[in-house]
Amino acid sequence: MSNPLADMEKPDVIFAIGTNMTECHPVAATRLKRALTAGATMIVADPRQTRLAKMAHLHLPIRVGSDVALLLAMAHVIQREGLIDASFIEERTAGGNEFLQHVKEFTPEWASDICEVPAADIEKAGLLYGKGNPSAIYYTLGITEHICGVDNVQSLCNLALMTGNLGVEGGGINPMRGQNNIQGAGDCGAVPNNFPGFQPCDHPESTEKFSKLYQTEIDGTKGITKVTALDNCGKGIHAMLIDGENTVVTDPDKNHCEHALKSLDHLVVIDIFMTETAQLADVVFPATAWGETDGVQTNTERRVQRLRAAVPPVGEAKPDWWIVSEIAKRMGVPGFEYESARDVFNELCELSPIYAGLDWDRIEDSEYQWPVPDRDHPGTPRLHEKEFKNGRGKFTVVGYRDPAEVISDEFPLWLTTGRRLEAYHSRTQTGRSAGIEYLLSHESLEVHPDDAEALGLVHGGMAKMASARGEIEIEVKVTDMSPQGTVFTSFSFAEVPVNILTGSGYDPVTQTAELKVCPVRVEPA
Amino acid sequence: MISDLDAQTTEKALMLTLDGEKVSFEAGETIYEVAERHRREIPTLCYDERLEAFGACRLCIVEVEGIRNPVASCTTQATEGMVIQTKTEAIEKHRKTLLELVASENRDVDVNQLSGYASQELKILVDRYDARSGRFSGKKSGTSNTKDKNPFILRDYDNCISCYRCVRVCAEREGDYAINVMNRGFDTQIITEFNNDLRDSECTFCGQCVQTCPTGALGDKKALRDSDTEGEIEKTRTICPYCGVGCSVDMLSKGDKIVGIQPAMDGPANEGALCIKGQFAFDFIQNADRLKKPMIRREDGELHECDWDEALNFAAAGFAKVRDKFGRHSVYGIASGRAPHEAAYTMQKYIRATYGTNYIDNCSRA
Amino acid sequence: MPSESNAALISRWKDEPAPLLPLLHDFHNRDGYLSEETIRDVAEGLGIPLAELFGTVTFYHHFSREAPGKSAPRVCTGNICCLHGGNELLESLKEDGATPMPCAGRCDDMIPVIIDDKAFVGKTKDSLVHRATPMPAENPGGITECVFSQIREEGRSTLDGYRATGGYAALEKALKGTPGEVIETVSESKLAGRGGAGFPTGFKWKAVADAPGDPKCIVCNADEGEPGCFKDRTIMDHDPFAVIEGMTLAAFATGAPLGFIYLRYEYPETEAILENAIEDARANGLLGENILGSGLTFHLYVRRGAGAYICGEEGSLLNSLEGKHPFPRNKPPFPVTHGFNDKPTAVNNVETLASVPHIVANGAEWYQGLGLGDLAGTKVISLSGDVQRPGNYEVPFGLPLNTLIHEWAGGPPEGRTVQAVTMAGLSGGFVGGDLSEITLDDGCLKSRGSFLGAGGIMVFDDSRNMVEAAHNAMEFFAHESCGKCFPCRIGTQRITERLNGATPNLTHEEWLAEIDDIGSTMKSTSACGLGMAAPHVTESLVRYFPEQVEAHLSKES
Repeated sequence: MSNPLADMEKPDVIFAIGTNMTECHPVAATRLKRALTAGATMIVADPRQTRLAKMAHLHLPIRVGSDVALLLAMAHVIQREGLIDASFIEERTAGGNEFLQHVKEFTPEWASDICEVPAADIEKAGLLYGKGNPSAIYYTLGITEHICGVDNVQSLCNLALMTGNLGVEGGGINPMRGQNNIQGAGDCGAVPNNFPGFQPCDHPESTEKFSKLYQTEIDGTKGITKVTALDNCGKGIHAMLIDGENTVVTDPDKNHCEHALKSLDHLVVIDIFMTETAQLADVVFPATAWGETDGVQTNTERRVQRLRAAVPPVGEAKPDWWIVSEIAKRMGVPGFEYESARDVFNELCELSPIYAGLDWDRIEDSEYQWPVPDRDHPGTPRLHEKEFKNGRGKFTVVGYRDPAEVISDEFPLWLTTGRRLEAYHSRTQTGRSAGIEYLLSHESLEVHPDDAEALGLVHGGMAKMASARGEIEIEVKVTDMSPQGTVFTSFSFAEVPVNILTGSGYDPVTQTAELKVCPVRVEPA
Repeated sequence: MISDLDAQTTEKALMLTLDGEKVSFEAGETIYEVAERHRREIPTLCYDERLEAFGACRLCIVEVEGIRNPVASCTTQATEGMVIQTKTEAIEKHRKTLLELVASENRDVDVNQLSGYASQELKILVDRYDARSGRFSGKKSGTSNTKDKNPFILRDYDNCISCYRCVRVCAEREGDYAINVMNRGFDTQIITEFNNDLRDSECTFCGQCVQTCPTGALGDKKALRDSDTEGEIEKTRTICPYCGVGCSVDMLSKGDKIVGIQPAMDGPANEGALCIKGQFAFDFIQNADRLKKPMIRREDGELHECDWDEALNFAAAGFAKVRDKFGRHSVYGIASGRAPHEAAYTMQKYIRATYGTNYIDNCSRA
Repeated sequence: MPSESNAALISRWKDEPAPLLPLLHDFHNRDGYLSEETIRDVAEGLGIPLAELFGTVTFYHHFSREAPGKSAPRVCTGNICCLHGGNELLESLKEDGATPMPCAGRCDDMIPVIIDDKAFVGKTKDSLVHRATPMPAENPGGITECVFSQIREEGRSTLDGYRATGGYAALEKALKGTPGEVIETVSESKLAGRGGAGFPTGFKWKAVADAPGDPKCIVCNADEGEPGCFKDRTIMDHDPFAVIEGMTLAAFATGAPLGFIYLRYEYPETEAILENAIEDARANGLLGENILGSGLTFHLYVRRGAGAYICGEEGSLLNSLEGKHPFPRNKPPFPVTHGFNDKPTAVNNVETLASVPHIVANGAEWYQGLGLGDLAGTKVISLSGDVQRPGNYEVPFGLPLNTLIHEWAGGPPEGRTVQAVTMAGLSGGFVGGDLSEITLDDGCLKSRGSFLGAGGIMVFDDSRNMVEAAHNAMEFFAHESCGKCFPCRIGTQRITERLNGATPNLTHEEWLAEIDDIGSTMKSTSACGLGMAAPHVTESLVRYFPEQVEAHLSKES
């Protein structure tokens, strides 16, 4: 997030797109609710009539995967109505003229055909966002899990840049991170393109720095992504070390994934449960769980916070860092002589400019949001206040593209997936917590009443749902939560392995899977 | 010169007299807030600093010179020159009477600490004011809801004192408006719409009502399962393990057992809020399914438990073998977005330092 | 005619000012009760959280949630009606689904029974009749009246009759001058709130006129819920245009384009009278836009309550109007700056507003001269109970109580003497002992631990059990306590229990100490007037009738 969570109570206009926040980030959503009580106006773009959408002043139930068209047309309206922040564009951005020229052709009428919402509503959304002072954008995986995920994000940046809504209190562009430490995994360099602290792998000085620190020669190029690695299993990739991820269930195209992992010569999995992924491993290590582990995690607003162990580990479980270090030591790799999580974290701080002002003791009270470049720095609740990291904020000229697969006679419905309030991911945790089943005992497919009638589906009955990749059976829930022509389910239940169906394509830049769009056929089972 | 003087006058701190002591305050502060800053320990039952002051319990009354009746300090703004007494004999007597009245309407004053964060507030005040006199006996107020079988929130309204903190926190903080008050006067009862079960209402089981309840009328049913478990309750401050918001929580444990979760009121991300997962989905940690020993796949093709040395050596040897056979670009690491920094850091370091590649990723692409 | 659909009713009210109560009443009228489906639809339609709306509906005594609902008789069991067979009448109507209701403001013509939208009166099931509110007796003291000066004139309740008897002269006069001049006249007259609080009216109007925020609002508090008070009903029924003209003057004085009359549920006929009067005024250019060609705009609406004494408290009243749970509001801020929809609002009693046209027409000095001695103005007293001629009497401030009771109202029944009177309906508690020195003004009454309030006086002769009377009174306060503040919510309940024999284990001393402690804490710490006033009942009971208390306690143990 460019702005702190506390800023969520301060926008004049809220633009929430591709985020089912009341279910996925409920506590953050409480702040938006308070902003609404205080008089803020909210636009929600989401195919489904989520709780957030019901609270909105303007709900745009756009067709899945049509975000770029909507955002271009909103930019068109803002440009046409002179709602741009000319001095911000002049002083702090690059590529503005080209972008403003570019958007002239993308009218709300044009977008209306693609997004399947009235042009007048798109017009209204543009005016609201453009006039808001400040306007804030919130998004989640509904934006990124598309083949055009990067285009979507850049389109949002364009909106914020053209209206000067960056670096201001109550504004910004705010992705809500889905996992407790997904931000931290990136901070720590567990990505193929960056060393710890977002030091790029393809910059010679960082490569040199880390090669020296890690006492080996590291490639001066980015690594491949997980998606490519999985594609290459058995054909170049022959061993994997997977820490705490149930890849088989949460990744798209389950069959492909399972096949990939099976074709490895050596798979080592560290986890707290015998997940579907661990079952394929050659070695499974029991990790300590939350509540048994001292450590650090970074939240979605870049706040660096301490995890503390409250109870001893179950059985012989060990912290992940200890397990990884032991493997390294046994392979004769130097530099893994850690005695505690503190040692590991302090090393990270030393190597990482954004953590340079931190250490284990200084984060005791959760008060810092990175970057914290030095010991005297108070932390950075709000990014881009005075300048952008790379000098100027860059506009990107983007165009609309159809999803990787579009509906057809064979697969006439859009399937989109997401989460539910009571379940988390593959339910390895919530599924093992007493009482949750009282509220959510099984998964179902949300089908619009008109679709249900046309397809002969009944509420509570079973349906077969098929995509180009596979077929599953699922119970039908007839509801107008989803618009006609779109069905929805979550990926949380192993009994309903919806990711057998997904996986139509990947964003070419980030290789994030298009989990949010999958043409399907649904019929009574 | 004159303008300087003017500036000084306008900037002059606002002052009032608190129990004979001159103290400064800021415009907009209530008497209660000023008094709390000056450690006056004014008793309250309906007050929660995160909520709009409500003025129900009247325990926070103080005397203000020039005003005939005592005023509720929580709802009264401090004004320049106010002369306030927070603890006169008359005020203390009223407080004791109020507490005796409140004690008289409830079944129990003593409730288990596991009920919730604020559950001891009534008990503490009743003891402080020596209000267990048994005076003012009569009909009890509120009726426990025993038909709601939800597994999370105890609705024991026999212990409800109608402070409306639950109703207010649900509306003002959580924004769900799931509960409200039915009837009036002594017959008030906290309910959902049509007095249904919570499951059939707008309730999302965030638990905020439980944690602000000052009597334990609303209780954490999951934590209360361990009422009789041996040991003192320990609180450990940590961060919720679910989504990226990073809510601060206090993990409650008795001995080696985790028994419950309470939100941290001073948590910067959540300010006392949690959701159903953070509040109630904690016991997976000590679930019987947890992996307890390392396992390796033996010749029979099955995974078997083994000791750490064997497993670690087996894992290391396997990687070495693949590297030697297929080269250093044949090994890939996937770090977790769920484990702490130390896991992700060592994972990436392991890949980079061992193989000299950037063949490391995490689960953010799924 | 087929009944209207939920959607049609909701869309009719949705964009009207203060829509919740009239919308709920429409449903209540249509179905006889408020069904679950209705409550769901209204919540959705008006954007009110469902649980909140459900809670709010349950707050009001008269909203039924099941059949027979509205058509089932509601029988007054107020203090005075109980002395005249209220409970027996209720019992005889039980087979028709009758339920009790607190004092319904008809103590001069008992016993009121409300069935649907008609208030019948009668002491037995078979003698129930439907008739108009009694007219005040012919000025028995021959004083110069203000509020009642023209009320008895033929046709006064019609617009033509009102104008023929001097109505609207004040407004015409005022519109030739400035709003400030109206405020000045009202201030100089020393008119003070006649609903009980006695706040200077001119001062209130000036505060509203000066406060920032639009639209400002005038609210006529016609929620005459105080037991033993029925003056506002008489004024509204027989002189409705005086109230409307008074409100229009207030609107002109303060700059408020919007007004409401918040009328208690128990006066169904009055609602029709007011609605008709407003319609006539509107049709004749006396309400709405450009009133009397002056450019003044004032839109006036009637909003009917649903049975809650606390809604006479101005914060509760405003919450009720706004469709919120009718708890009192914390003060400050006061309604003059943060009233209806948080905008500056003058909340005035019916009698206050009905006095204004007379004051504006006749001048401040005239009004000041109406009282006795140094006291300014008049007050309408609702006199009921054990007197020969109960009814409404306009008295000059300072009139001896005995003059009112014995000379004007004929004294107690033959062979009886006056044992006690209540003051301020019930809120002033009882006054007993020697009543000969008592004059009707707060200076005198304060010395006896009481106050005039809204002007309800109930008379109890020497045959009456005062502990029972106190119990009935305290039961009323407990029934009407809103439940927000602890001292009132618990205190009214505990005192009631101590008056009905539910605490046999207490010694006499313990009983007295508990009553005293509860009362003292209620008076000092309650959040609104209800809880502060209720203990007057027991305080005065113990003070004036210790031997009856003694007898009660001996019986108990």
